[in-house]
Amino acid sequence: MATPKRYSYHVEESALAQADRPARFLKAFAAILEHGNYDLALDAYARMSAKCGRCAASCQLYEATGAEEDIPCHRSELLLRVYRRYFTQAGVLKARLFGGFTLTDEYLDEMAEAYYRCTACRRCKATCPLGLDHGLVTHVARWILAEVGIVPRALVVSVREQLAGETGNTSGIPVPALKDTVEFLEEELHDIYDVDIKYPFDVEGAEYVFFPAVSDYLMEADTLMGNAAVMHVTGGSWTIGTGNYDGINYGLFYSDRMMERIARNVVAEAKRLNARKILVGECGHATRSAWFIPTFCGPDAPRVVNCMEYTYDMLAAGKIPLKAEKILERVTYHDPCNIARVGRITEQPREILKAICSDYVEMTPNRTENYCCGGGGGTVSIDEIRAFRTSKLGKRKADQIRETGAQLVVSPCANCKKQLRELCQDNELGEVEVVGLHDLLLRVIDFGS
Amino acid sequence: MDVWLDWARGPLFWTALAFMVLGLLRQAGLTVWSAVRTYRRAGDRQIPTRQVWRATLRWLVPTDRLRNRWPYSVTTVVLHAGVLLVPLFLAGHIALWQAAIGLAWPALPNALSTALTLAVLAGVVSVVIQRAVSPIARPLSRFQDYALPLLIGVTFASGFFVMHPAWNLFAFEPVMLTHVLSADLLFFLVPLSKLSHLILLPFTQLVSELAWHFPPDAGAKVAVALGKENEPV
Repeated sequence: MATPKRYSYHVEESALAQADRPARFLKAFAAILEHGNYDLALDAYARMSAKCGRCAASCQLYEATGAEEDIPCHRSELLLRVYRRYFTQAGVLKARLFGGFTLTDEYLDEMAEAYYRCTACRRCKATCPLGLDHGLVTHVARWILAEVGIVPRALVVSVREQLAGETGNTSGIPVPALKDTVEFLEEELHDIYDVDIKYPFDVEGAEYVFFPAVSDYLMEADTLMGNAAVMHVTGGSWTIGTGNYDGINYGLFYSDRMMERIARNVVAEAKRLNARKILVGECGHATRSAWFIPTFCGPDAPRVVNCMEYTYDMLAAGKIPLKAEKILERVTYHDPCNIARVGRITEQPREILKAICSDYVEMTPNRTENYCCGGGGGTVSIDEIRAFRTSKLGKRKADQIRETGAQLVVSPCANCKKQLRELCQDNELGEVEVVGLHDLLLRVIDFGS
Repeated sequence: MDVWLDWARGPLFWTALAFMVLGLLRQAGLTVWSAVRTYRRAGDRQIPTRQVWRATLRWLVPTDRLRNRWPYSVTTVVLHAGVLLVPLFLAGHIALWQAAIGLAWPALPNALSTALTLAVLAGVVSVVIQRAVSPIARPLSRFQDYALPLLIGVTFASGFFVMHPAWNLFAFEPVMLTHVLSADLLFFLVPLSKLSHLILLPFTQLVSELAWHFPPDAGAKVAVALGKENEPV
């Protein structure tokens, strides 16, 4: 069924039919300011934003388009202007005395477009002298917009299936299909590597409950086989819960309200299985949204561990036997913004790759200063903007990959992998293969004979 | 003229200074109060303090951040250094403070003050021109983004002529009056404009970090406030 187009992305038809959107936007904004923790930052930003434009120099979208609307500071000003006018005493007084800015439907449409041109990669924060976090402004603006129905349909449909659908996951994979897939993976491991590895289901008291991006069961067989192989050789105590096996949390991209509900469901499954830790698969946003679990569920919630952290610790402890032969192709690593920007996971994957690759090269810049793949902030799920993602948003990343001369690009993130593959297809980088980190590791694990 | 000068240097100066100091203290106080409230509401109170401190210090002394748009960066750093140092450490200003309240502190050598003043003036001209011609900064710019540096320029230029009468082509009193009045106006504008970053800058990295520390049930409360608690996804 075709959806009427108002934005560059599809929204639900019901959203377009809504009346009195400016008033409803302001009501939602007020509620979010009252119950959330955004007022402090918005107030400081609204007072002191200097409009120097330094942020533009670090924005890959602005680099590609040179358009005023793609300057991070310009984008943030769209929301800060509303904040100043309606939520500060000076703004209200000024409007009463002199009139001026009024929130309109057209202005909402401008925001709706602007905040989904940004991938919320937060690279620009590091270059703002005043410490403004434009990614934060995008984050809260998207939530307010979502409360008046302005949210890409691709995101809301996934969340609906996850929170209210029969399968309870974003890919709509029922448990029998999950078990069939896993059985296939076990057979593959046996046939290719001559090793019997089982994916444990619903093991009560296991140390880790495994939450990959559920789409990995459809798209990333090698990554999942690598995850299982690591758990096998290290004797890790882990399980997949049939009550919830999806680490994806698109609430991070458009609504704290949804993010909170999805995160609580993850914890509920871990508690059902009496697990002590949540093991997140190769997925940047799943990891970052899981890092919010102490926020929603308190300090006693199960600890969150990314699979790369686990693998690195095991490798460093000598518990992952490796073959003498290394990966011979030239390999480079793409840092997913959600785990690298704040510097939480940057060195572990590099140490693993250096241990298993003979020709590892870095992209420049990297780690906390990396460029986004161009599909961050949920934009990778919006297929109707693929051309924009792979030409404008991802141009810088395509250039980076080309400059390394790498044959293999490793990215431990389901969303980055999808974007990077499309990026390579659309930018004459067809010879480059995009893989997960555990895909490569699997090739060199020595299972013995 | 003398009456005007006495008024500008006397009641108006003290009023403007008090307005600036109290205004900035109010902003600092509100920010600290709001930061404590935000922290207490947060579900996760683990703040990466080392990271926040490092980012704060890095931008208070941004010597390693000058490569990004370097002409703009270098001139703004010099401009900021001069604007902070000259008013506080000019020997003539300190003498006035000593006469007024009996307090004095070490002064910058006059030659250095002069050099910094000239650097500020060059910085003002450079910043305004770069803003006006930059395809990035120009469309972002508001009235205050031009007016404030120009006002700083007037204050420093008139101050330079007061200190160096040989270069002054005008009568002393009008130049002095211009200097004092423009400084008074700046004091009034500091807490009301983006110049409030004078007091808020040390807080902003913490403020940005705290915003990501949500209250545990913010989403549920927003749903109730909007009557959406039973609404399908």
